[in-house]
Amino acid sequence: MNNLTLLDGAMGTMLQAAGLGLGERPEIFGMQHPDILERIQRSYVDAGSRVIYANTFGANAHKLAGTGYTVEELVSKNIAIAKRAAAGQAKVALDVGPLGELMEPLGTLSFADAYDMYAQMVRAGEAAGADLVVFETMTDLYEVKAAVLAAKEQSSLPVWVTMSFEATGRTFTGTTVASMAATLDGLDVAAMGINCSLGPEEIYPLIAEMRKWTDKPLIVKPNAGLPDPATGGYEMDAAEFARQMTKFPELGVSILGGCCGTTPDFIAALAQLPDAVEDIRPERRRCVCSASHMTDFDGVRVIGERINPTGKKRFQQALRERDLNYIMERAIEQQDAGADILDINVGLPGIDEAEMMVQVVKAVQSVVSLPLQIDSSDPEAIEAGLRACNGRAIVNSVNAEQDKLDTILPIVKRYGAAVVGLTMDKSGIPQTAEARFAMAETILENALKHGIPKEDVLIDCLTLTISAQQEQAVETLKAVRMVHEQLGLHCVLGVSNISFGLPERNNITTSFLTQAMYCGLDLPIINPNLKPIMDTVVSYRALSGEDVNCEAYIERFANVEPEQKVSAAPKEMTVETAVLKGLKQETADLTEQLLETMSELDVINQKLIPALDVVGEKYEKQQIFLPQLINAANAACAGFDLIKLRIAKRGGESVSKGKIIMATVEGDIHDIGKNIVRVVLENYGYQVIDLGRDVPVQKVVDAAIAEDVRLVGLSALMTTTVDSMRRTIEALRASGHDCQVMVGGAVLTADYAAEIGADYYTKDAKASVDVAKKVLG
Amino acid sequence: MQARLTQLNYQEILMYLGHRGQECPAELEQQIHRCMEDVTKAAEPRLVYRILPVSEGQVQGFPLEGNDMRELLTDCQQAVLMAVTLGPQVEQLLMRREVTNMADAVIMDACASTAVENVSDHFEFDLREQLEQEGKYLTDRFSPGYGDLPLHTQSRFCDALNTARRIGLTVTPNDIMIPRKSVTAILGISDRPQKLRKRGCEVCSMFLTCPYRKEGGSCHE
Repeated sequence: MNNLTLLDGAMGTMLQAAGLGLGERPEIFGMQHPDILERIQRSYVDAGSRVIYANTFGANAHKLAGTGYTVEELVSKNIAIAKRAAAGQAKVALDVGPLGELMEPLGTLSFADAYDMYAQMVRAGEAAGADLVVFETMTDLYEVKAAVLAAKEQSSLPVWVTMSFEATGRTFTGTTVASMAATLDGLDVAAMGINCSLGPEEIYPLIAEMRKWTDKPLIVKPNAGLPDPATGGYEMDAAEFARQMTKFPELGVSILGGCCGTTPDFIAALAQLPDAVEDIRPERRRCVCSASHMTDFDGVRVIGERINPTGKKRFQQALRERDLNYIMERAIEQQDAGADILDINVGLPGIDEAEMMVQVVKAVQSVVSLPLQIDSSDPEAIEAGLRACNGRAIVNSVNAEQDKLDTILPIVKRYGAAVVGLTMDKSGIPQTAEARFAMAETILENALKHGIPKEDVLIDCLTLTISAQQEQAVETLKAVRMVHEQLGLHCVLGVSNISFGLPERNNITTSFLTQAMYCGLDLPIINPNLKPIMDTVVSYRALSGEDVNCEAYIERFANVEPEQKVSAAPKEMTVETAVLKGLKQETADLTEQLLETMSELDVINQKLIPALDVVGEKYEKQQIFLPQLINAANAACAGFDLIKLRIAKRGGESVSKGKIIMATVEGDIHDIGKNIVRVVLENYGYQVIDLGRDVPVQKVVDAAIAEDVRLVGLSALMTTTVDSMRRTIEALRASGHDCQVMVGGAVLTADYAAEIGADYYTKDAKASVDVAKKVLG
Repeated sequence: MQARLTQLNYQEILMYLGHRGQECPAELEQQIHRCMEDVTKAAEPRLVYRILPVSEGQVQGFPLEGNDMRELLTDCQQAVLMAVTLGPQVEQLLMRREVTNMADAVIMDACASTAVENVSDHFEFDLREQLEQEGKYLTDRFSPGYGDLPLHTQSRFCDALNTARRIGLTVTPNDIMIPRKSVTAILGISDRPQKLRKRGCEVCSMFLTCPYRKEGGSCHE
């Protein structure tokens, strides 16, 4: 006997051979045929399996709905059978697969619901005497996170996770091997690996990649090669399987078994494999990541600072109005500009920070793939943000105060995040580099004590404004160098503060940034949309050698044309024409010109809206079609954005002709139609409260009352979800709140709309504007 | 058989966008072509199918509701269950574009609808060719939600094909497939040539949501 742990082989194919029908639930079949199930599992134990997976893969509340069986019943019975088969010779794992529904944002399953379903299974498994829990065949890292948190918080069972990848190294939902490894290493599972989808040979390079990101025990449970696409059958035999598996122990993979197409013979053949090499401990690479995007710590990585209300009136307005679209635009903009990580700060008086943090994290994750930095001093908001985060995040921040360290660090550890430590405490920011260095040491010491590895401690030596404390710039740089050289830690720095209050700030900011990077700053928090700043980073990477052969530098600068600051619009063009033709830049330029002589409201009412009316009329007469209508709305939007910004900057009231709630109803996720309507309504000067898609009935009612909204727009695309629309309208009526409801969506007609109690049927975006004008003026 | 995606049908995209013969300016044409390219690039078409025995117009061990099914399979000895999906990347692209450029998003949505039809059509074509070499013939393609085959059959198709595991396709409790740009369908296999119906509304994937049909017309008049 060697140090390998052998798992079992396939279950589904064995049950099919024993009579499991098409579409029948294996968990129910197994419980109804305990002898068959026990015989199969016993044959694996006899073949050498030392951990067998109970027949509980799909025994979750979602898949069992309508079967008449409960999770508890199926889990306990199937585990009891497995325990009989194991007869003390093997451990029994509660086997848990994907819930079978895709999670938000692509699907409708919420993180909380996924967590609850996993928690139910895990509690049932522990009560039934399972020795561990295995989450296998997973393809969505977010679902894995819900599962692992449920298992760790609701049971004391050891947790193993294996995911299924395509040969490209990504799962169906885009999770990469590296992201999986980094995230689960952070969540501190007992073992992780890969199962199903591929044969041993195809899995080998993927496990080699996984090894770079974790030193946890690794699991491999491959299929018997690749299936014949026509029959779905597997050709590989046990001897070939064992031959291909020989290489895994060399990588230190110590837990081995088989998946689809394997039998007890395959497991028996694994008994001859060599010992796993135990001292494989390559230097573990560190990173933060989303499910699909990795930002390693191997060079200068830009943290985008734009999702932050501090000093930004327009952003504050967006937070107060829950205008998540505005925030999502800021996220996309920063990713396009070259940010590697996005800082998320939503702290604003009067806002429930924890709740808002979750909303914003989810919204941002739905449109960008970058890893996030949760920026707050409120432990509750930090934890809420980390929980909602898909992947491995950074917490910004903790400082050297003992009570802060004691509160924040355990949260950081629990979610496996990295953490920014500010070199300050109750008495403020020390004036000397040496004193800041000492605080960095304190932070590191505390982090280590909480089990947070050194590589995940990022120190911020703090930038002070030179217009106020000129001598401090040098101290900051010195502290960065000391932390980098003597402690070997990564350094974070909010850079732009350095030039506050000075003219032509970029001169100072870029110069300071270069010096700081030379001293060891590798995680600058900056505005990536400012070209000179990103130019500085790109240039620095070329000088430091990180940008090999200066490729990125050349790509950025080789074909740069000198910027000409002239209006895009030809002289004779009017704003009406620009809108009609859907020309964004031209509309913005012409709006700016008009604002020199006209008030904002006049530009809206006398120029932009009449232009949109012309477009709407042409659309109605079928002189133009949908894309042209929306292009025009987009163009007008550029004009409106300019006006909104101007008003927000001088602290004025936002222009609004009234509030309208828009929602795609519960259960439905087709929200493109609703979004078209939103864009057009906004351009007519209405403030749209967009509740998104799959919106619970009660949420619509609550928002209508809380915001005192008189017009609610509901959208549904499916026959199956029109009923949610009816329920939403009923609930609005029952609440007694005085409001009118307009509905739209592909399956609706005027008759149908009347039948479900709507006040208006809107066949398209233009019609919704007519309704809004009628109801709100 | 592999999932294949080829050049998207420009006319079909215009149809999805509600085009009724209006003049299409050059910039808009370019915009549509740009969107076609982006969607094609993001698409990761995947396919899974399974052949099942049929007797007396019923798939054995897998009964299906409605008369249309029985009619379709009358002459058949086997049936093919199929599912195709464009994958989640296209959805992500759409979500992102809905924030930055709504018009692009609408056009891309139409492109993606065309793309998933394209993949389904290729599968059908390839299978038809292959079967004809064996002296067998395919019926029309029929999806849940067409005619009297209920929409909720979708999740049974997906279960039977194990689509979640094989191609990453799942169904919500409201019978929405995710990724949304996906198709499930059934086709009969017979040893006699099958009369293929004129392509019409009842065998079209837009059956439930078609704007032309809602106005009392159709796109092929």
